[in-house]
Amino acid sequence: MTASTNAPVPRTRNLTTAAIFERYGLVIFLCILLVVAALISPPFLQPANLVNVLTIAAPLGMVVVGQTFVILVRGLDLSVASLMATVAVLATAFKATGNDAIPMIFVAAIVFSAIVGLISGWLVTKRNVSPFLATLAMMIILQGVRFAYTGGAPISTLPPGMSFLASGRILGIPVNLITLAILATALGIVLHRSRFGRQIFMVGSNPKAALLNGVPRDRVVILCYVICSICAGIGGLFLLGYVGTVSNWVGQGYELDSIVAAVMGGVALSGGRGNVFAALLGVAVLVVINNLVLLLGFPIEMQLIIKGIIIIGAAAFYRTRLF
Amino acid sequence: MTALIMDLRRNRLLASYVIVGTLFLILVIAGGLLSDRFLTWRNFSNLFQQLIVLGMVSLGQTFVVLMGGIDLAVGALVGALTVFLASFLEWRPDMLWLAIPLSAIIATAIGALNGLMIVVLRVHALIVTLGMGSIIFGATLMYRREPGGSVPNAFADFAYANVGNIPISAIVLVAIFALAGLWLQRTRSGRDIYFAGGDPEAARLNGVHVNKVIILAYAISGLCAAGAAIFLTARTGVGDPRIGAALTLQSITPVVVGGTILAGGRGGVLGTFLGVLLVTTLNNLLNFVNVSSYYQWVIQGLIIIIAVAFNTSGKRR
Amino acid sequence: MSSSVIELSQIVKEYPGVRPLDRVDFAVRPGEIHALLGENGAGKSTLIRVMGGAVAPNSGSITYLGKSVSWRSPKEARTAGIHVIYQELALFPELSVAENILVDAQPTRFGLISGRARHALAAAALKQLGVTIPTHAKVDELPLADQQMVEIAKALVGQTKLLILDEPTAVITGREVDLLFENMRRLRSEGVGIVYVSHRLEEIAEIADRVTILKDGQVVATSPVAALTREAMITKMVGRRLEQVYPARLQAPAQTADVLTVRNLEAGPRVRDVSFSVKAGEIVGLAGMVGSGRTEVAEAIFGTREVKQGSIALEGKPFSKIDPGAAIRFGLGFLTENRKDEGLFLGLPISANIVAPDLGSVTRRGLIDRATERETAMRQMKEFAVAAPSSEVKVGNLSGGNQQKVLFSRWSRIANRLLILDEPTRGVDIGAKVEIYRIIRRLADSGIGVLLISSELQEVVGMSDRVYVMSQGQIVGEIQGEAISEEAIMDLAVRSMDRSRLSVAGGAELVS
Repeated sequence: MTASTNAPVPRTRNLTTAAIFERYGLVIFLCILLVVAALISPPFLQPANLVNVLTIAAPLGMVVVGQTFVILVRGLDLSVASLMATVAVLATAFKATGNDAIPMIFVAAIVFSAIVGLISGWLVTKRNVSPFLATLAMMIILQGVRFAYTGGAPISTLPPGMSFLASGRILGIPVNLITLAILATALGIVLHRSRFGRQIFMVGSNPKAALLNGVPRDRVVILCYVICSICAGIGGLFLLGYVGTVSNWVGQGYELDSIVAAVMGGVALSGGRGNVFAALLGVAVLVVINNLVLLLGFPIEMQLIIKGIIIIGAAAFYRTRLF
Repeated sequence: MTALIMDLRRNRLLASYVIVGTLFLILVIAGGLLSDRFLTWRNFSNLFQQLIVLGMVSLGQTFVVLMGGIDLAVGALVGALTVFLASFLEWRPDMLWLAIPLSAIIATAIGALNGLMIVVLRVHALIVTLGMGSIIFGATLMYRREPGGSVPNAFADFAYANVGNIPISAIVLVAIFALAGLWLQRTRSGRDIYFAGGDPEAARLNGVHVNKVIILAYAISGLCAAGAAIFLTARTGVGDPRIGAALTLQSITPVVVGGTILAGGRGGVLGTFLGVLLVTTLNNLLNFVNVSSYYQWVIQGLIIIIAVAFNTSGKRR
Repeated sequence: MSSSVIELSQIVKEYPGVRPLDRVDFAVRPGEIHALLGENGAGKSTLIRVMGGAVAPNSGSITYLGKSVSWRSPKEARTAGIHVIYQELALFPELSVAENILVDAQPTRFGLISGRARHALAAAALKQLGVTIPTHAKVDELPLADQQMVEIAKALVGQTKLLILDEPTAVITGREVDLLFENMRRLRSEGVGIVYVSHRLEEIAEIADRVTILKDGQVVATSPVAALTREAMITKMVGRRLEQVYPARLQAPAQTADVLTVRNLEAGPRVRDVSFSVKAGEIVGLAGMVGSGRTEVAEAIFGTREVKQGSIALEGKPFSKIDPGAAIRFGLGFLTENRKDEGLFLGLPISANIVAPDLGSVTRRGLIDRATERETAMRQMKEFAVAAPSSEVKVGNLSGGNQQKVLFSRWSRIANRLLILDEPTRGVDIGAKVEIYRIIRRLADSGIGVLLISSELQEVVGMSDRVYVMSQGQIVGEIQGEAISEEAIMDLAVRSMDRSRLSVAGGAELVS
């Protein structure tokens, strides 16, 4: 309503404990989790173990980076997991046994993923389909295509180099973590520093206003879906290397886990608010919790319960802050 | 004829009904031409058995979507309820009379809890029901990891009982859909669901208790999940925590194919019924003509896209 | 005073940093039409919402029919007999007219809603109102004026003891206004208390018994209508004399070249045949009723509405294939009517909002140069006196007036040829208004053409060097310099409407 021009501007000195907690809450939470884990099981905090935990989480991290882009423009991508598995199947379609096929596999995976993202983005922007339904349909279609191709049976013809992607190390650092770091840094710069990134935030914050400020709205949204799909495709190849054989369900559950991690990292489903690195912190919290459940000797199903509580709790926590 | 076309242009919901109904008829005719076993009572009663579970869950989903929400916890809930029923009946086979209402009450309460959290925490329905689904699924698995339990014969017989050639359960399903339609169209609380889904703020200003409507819709979705679980348990004789996993997303297809929009406020149970009929018949027919069941997924995805993307309307679908 | 239908005492409503209602006393007697006057943002809407139970006051008391009440929901207030007709229609476009009219009073038999009774009752309400609207039609198929009549018909159902109307005449005209007034008089004679909000002072003189004037959330006067002259009402509403509010207009008609020339523009159903021009350095007002097509003209010029026919020329060069990007590159700015829905990025900092249309100016090799961005923003903020501690404060945390100044900071940067302003002072207080008026004049003085769209006639009259009047998708007249007055504008708008009604069949040809 009305406001006096001389109304008090937001009180800066009020950046109190609440504000700090809001900004660094996730880091604090992660630290607490790590301390608890170390108390229960001292070997947990050893670098070797931590690297191991993170290695397992790397493919999910790649998906989360992409998912963040889509959520920022008020979207959602349910097809990422199905795409990961489909890309994995695609990788075996080359029936290659030599490592020289790996670049080819990557190019094919990226092109294929980009096309999938393009279709989802087109449905969402040009046909005005809700992101939920558009990506749900893509998920089911990819699933059908994949199963029809494999006949439902797992395949394991893969170049040996693929497993290097998952468990190999360069200078002692796992390859997939290096890849994730490069991917996240590159896309993080695009998102938080580039002109295109700014346009993403504008579209997510207010699509109509973005259009009126000369932002090619539909193109920005479509590109976000393409980026998300490519991230998922790359994540699929790394996960494939980790698993070794291609089951038709590689990556199952990643669509929801990626959304959980992003929401935990403060990416708002209403769009226009979020940060790639915070979303990755969400991934870290998720995997540490999963580990903690096992360390505490709880049955593995407990992970599901805790995950459920955490996603609702995190969303409620972020909901309370204004703007 | 021209009048009809004009009418269809204006009334998008009616248009959805006509399109889905026509597609269904085409499928039936095609089925009859492709296989002489398709147009038989035996196949129809088989088909009806197949559509009951999806029908019940989609019915509940319709209420939630009409009100402007979405329920991603139904699949886990159905699985949990089959485990509850089969375990309870294994322990006390004589207490069927108690087990059924108890499962309905539990399911309704869990549904209402979903709605309550959405209202109180003001968190997106997607997140709340996703989280609840995860919690329910985890809890069920902790109790029973593999399918198990048993049910008394009398209960199992119910699932397969027929009147003439028609399964009783199918008659019950149609009756429930009819009642649900009557309720949505002809009662005040039913209309409130449309008001709240169409424009929550306008509904509030017009004296609708929007929060109550939200909780009600999710409670109904829970109740419908109980219906699906009761039938499933009777038919399979066991409780299986994973049996509902695919149902969550499957239940949304018939709803949107039937012309109900995800934004809320437009649609109805007749569309959902036609949608369930279409999807189930399609799968049934594809089985008959020996198309790999995997293509059913492709076709189902295409149906969603076609139904939603090419049903032109200003509102987001 | 105990004979009041409703009596509010010392009502305070506060939001962080804002106080829309400040110790308000207000009472309505049975059988009285009580007008509520005030500028946009004076607190009228909030007061209405408090009475209707849609907003709970922070303090103060409400006495309704002699009993102390505190509404917990609109439902409670409605059940007790308070009916509010909100300005933004509370209708369900997908549902039928009948269902909308009987939204909370659906007739049931044996617990089931009777469709037949519903239509009969709805038809009866419409008939009582005096309009013929098919009860089976869906609301979104109706013209805006009919939708307003449906909203009014809702008030005729059930036992209403207090009827509140928030600017019901904004989108209806002539005969419909007469019908509304007839019904209001009938309800008054039946003892219903009526609160009537309108910007049209003539209407208030015609229909109201008493008037209460709000300014900045406080009651500045309550008196019988007859005791206040029109000028006195205006002075009380504005709080100062008009000469002090508006800067001086141009001494002589501008002799500069056209920056914008629009010829026979047709765009959508609301813009049928529009021709006009804006010269460099002048402020051109575009007046007309809500729904007359003014905003749509602006959208067509800016490229967000498809042009069916006609031409738009900028500095004499025809401009085909317009989109906002191209318009911005030309030096065109468009400050939209609804700053929250179409203007601001509430969740982004001030700096991002200011550089939004021209990211290129702060981009180096594809990356945003934060230092330049901040510098640019600080410079603009200083120039337009945006009160905020830094350029990195989120715009959603600013007051309405400051938000509007952020928009001026944004558009003045890139609009070096033409600036289109659609309701530039909506929802800001008088102090900010005066500042904004000075800004607009300053921009024009620097050689920019300004197209000013406003529903506030006073504003159009006070600011414009030239005024075009629009009605039903057409320009119906032009007024220059000293001839500009509220009466002259209303005269053109209303007269053309009557005429077009007489000659609908022939496809009315009107002056332009």
